[in-house]
Amino acid sequence: MVREYRLTVALAFAALAACTNLPRSRDLGNQDVDGRVLAEQVCSSCHGVTGSAESPNMPNLAGQQKSYLVAQLRGFREKSRQDPAGYEYMWGISRNLTDRQIDELADYFSTQTLRLQRVESAPEHIEAGRSVFTGGVPASGVPACIACHGPDALGTDMYPRLNGQHADYIAKQLAVFQRTDQRPEGAVMKVVAHGLTPEAVENVAAYLQAMPSLATAR
Amino acid sequence: MDASAGKRVRAWRTHGIIALVVLLVLALVPVCSRALPVFARQTGQNCVACHAGGQFPELTPYGRLFKLTGYTIGQRTIPVAVMGIATASDVHNTSHSDDPSADFQKNDSLIFASASLFLAGKVTDNVGAFMQVTYDNYAKQGSDGSWRGHTSADNMDIRYADRFIDPDRDIIFGVSANNNPSVSDPWNSAPAWMQYVPVPSPTSSAFIDGAAPYTGFASGGNIAGVTAYAFWNQTLYVEAGGYGSARGIASFMSAGVADAEKTRLQGTNPYWRIALSHAFGAHDVMVGLTGMNADIYDDPLDTSDSATIHRFHDIGADAQYQYLLDPSTVTVQLAYMRDTHHVPAFLANQPVFDVDGQPLANTNASDRTNVFRAKASYVYAAKYGGSVAFFNQTGTTDSALYDPTPVFGNVSGNPGIRGSTIEAFVTPVQYLRIGLQYTMYDRYSGASHNYDGAGRNAGDNDSLFLYFWGAY
Repeated sequence: MVREYRLTVALAFAALAACTNLPRSRDLGNQDVDGRVLAEQVCSSCHGVTGSAESPNMPNLAGQQKSYLVAQLRGFREKSRQDPAGYEYMWGISRNLTDRQIDELADYFSTQTLRLQRVESAPEHIEAGRSVFTGGVPASGVPACIACHGPDALGTDMYPRLNGQHADYIAKQLAVFQRTDQRPEGAVMKVVAHGLTPEAVENVAAYLQAMPSLATAR
Repeated sequence: MDASAGKRVRAWRTHGIIALVVLLVLALVPVCSRALPVFARQTGQNCVACHAGGQFPELTPYGRLFKLTGYTIGQRTIPVAVMGIATASDVHNTSHSDDPSADFQKNDSLIFASASLFLAGKVTDNVGAFMQVTYDNYAKQGSDGSWRGHTSADNMDIRYADRFIDPDRDIIFGVSANNNPSVSDPWNSAPAWMQYVPVPSPTSSAFIDGAAPYTGFASGGNIAGVTAYAFWNQTLYVEAGGYGSARGIASFMSAGVADAEKTRLQGTNPYWRIALSHAFGAHDVMVGLTGMNADIYDDPLDTSDSATIHRFHDIGADAQYQYLLDPSTVTVQLAYMRDTHHVPAFLANQPVFDVDGQPLANTNASDRTNVFRAKASYVYAAKYGGSVAFFNQTGTTDSALYDPTPVFGNVSGNPGIRGSTIEAFVTPVQYLRIGLQYTMYDRYSGASHNYDGAGRNAGDNDSLFLYFWGAY
């Protein structure tokens, strides 16, 4: 009786273990799962199903440059991007992603439209940030962001989109660039951001986050 | 040796053990920082991804989705983790006692209180489990005073879940087989999860925060049930199911629990839960209702007569607010539960006499107990934290509760307990938490003063509690 019971349980577990559900899998170790499925089943939990993250703790991915998303996911997978947001949340998630899955994930999020989000900062910070974005801080040797990230901060193949990104995320990443070498792929930003004061960081982050709302208001 | 010398020796022994534990911890740090408990191994993520501010077991919004999708995010790994707890309890006043060594066992002593083994993690794309077995190092005491440990089933939750999600909808549904009503719940204001530090068995820990009133279902754990749940657009959560005694194929859910200590239920006992959740920016709020009816046999060893059944109706309301934005974590939890207890006829309307032989009111046919608890916590950088809590239990006065035993007695017949707890903790590495709690009472067993009839006041039970909590 007991042997039959154990056999039944063992067979049940063996049968379950053989089960996969590729259209709705959350298996980060199965390289057959499509990037889109992973985006919906896993990434959406923090970044939103269309890449618009409700929590400012998590960056928006919608409409981000595909090349940037690919570079970041590879950086996480290879552990070359070492900031806390990277190793706390993303190293494990990305550790077994294939190049194909990374490409599909980047494709999925880069083609989404960022949802219009509430403005996170006060108007005076946004206005002060506009001048940093468009004109830099010449006295401190900080070039204008607009020069690389574009007039609408939508980025290019070489530089990420900043338009509409959460202010807290931008400020934290600027601090990472300024104070650490945890993001070697963004080494250029160490020089660029070196002269930014904490107030200037807060202001430019406020402006970038508010850009979609400012464009809508125009 | 006189009493004060004995106390000094005990104090030095305590300090010595604390120093040893700290040294061990420091020695283990490099090892721990490269290793991960089972769910962290499965996702490869840091504990803070799922646990708010790194406080286990409180879940972040992502942690809740991880649980509701059946612990299936990530990849299969070795499904084993361990947890150990060392504690020291200090009851404020041990003088009002006939036998302090029995009423305040291990007072002021650092003890290895308990350890748990977890079998947990992803099984398939849709099936996952969280199964805890706990060893209580002070489970039993022999007649010679020696202690013996015992192992038994603790929280168990085996679930099947699926998620249908696209830009227009997000529906998670699942089925959970578990042994403790609300252990399947993803919010930590639910009864199974709000109380978070296990209470050591020696009586010196009888007044620590974990032993003070928390909301809970009358059935407790060690039963077996199946619940089905759905979470729609991360907004509406509903769960319903039924529980019975852990028997037959489900007997593993109460393994190790002595037959005389098991909860024996008549038939299927309904459980339900509904909650509304909303996230806005770094804020996340939930308000919910829950309830359960439980028909419990008076004697677990004799389930032959339905006239011996206690009928409980529990209904509760709870709410949780979280603010999660690195490096800050703020949580506020509120929980209330009303328990109505219909006593079997043979125990109702019974005469009771006090110690002087004077008659008291006859016992009640039914009782009502209300428990309210509120807690607010703040954690900085998932490392340093603190919390304040308030608890208040009120209820019907019933002479069935009359008990003139010093310390643990109750001469008013009223279940009232009211007090508060403050706590500070540090998490030097994500697998270790060191906490210090102080719990204060202004009402105990229905009275502020002389609640046991032997001169003990509620404030005498104020307790200091130190814990070292590690998981690997």
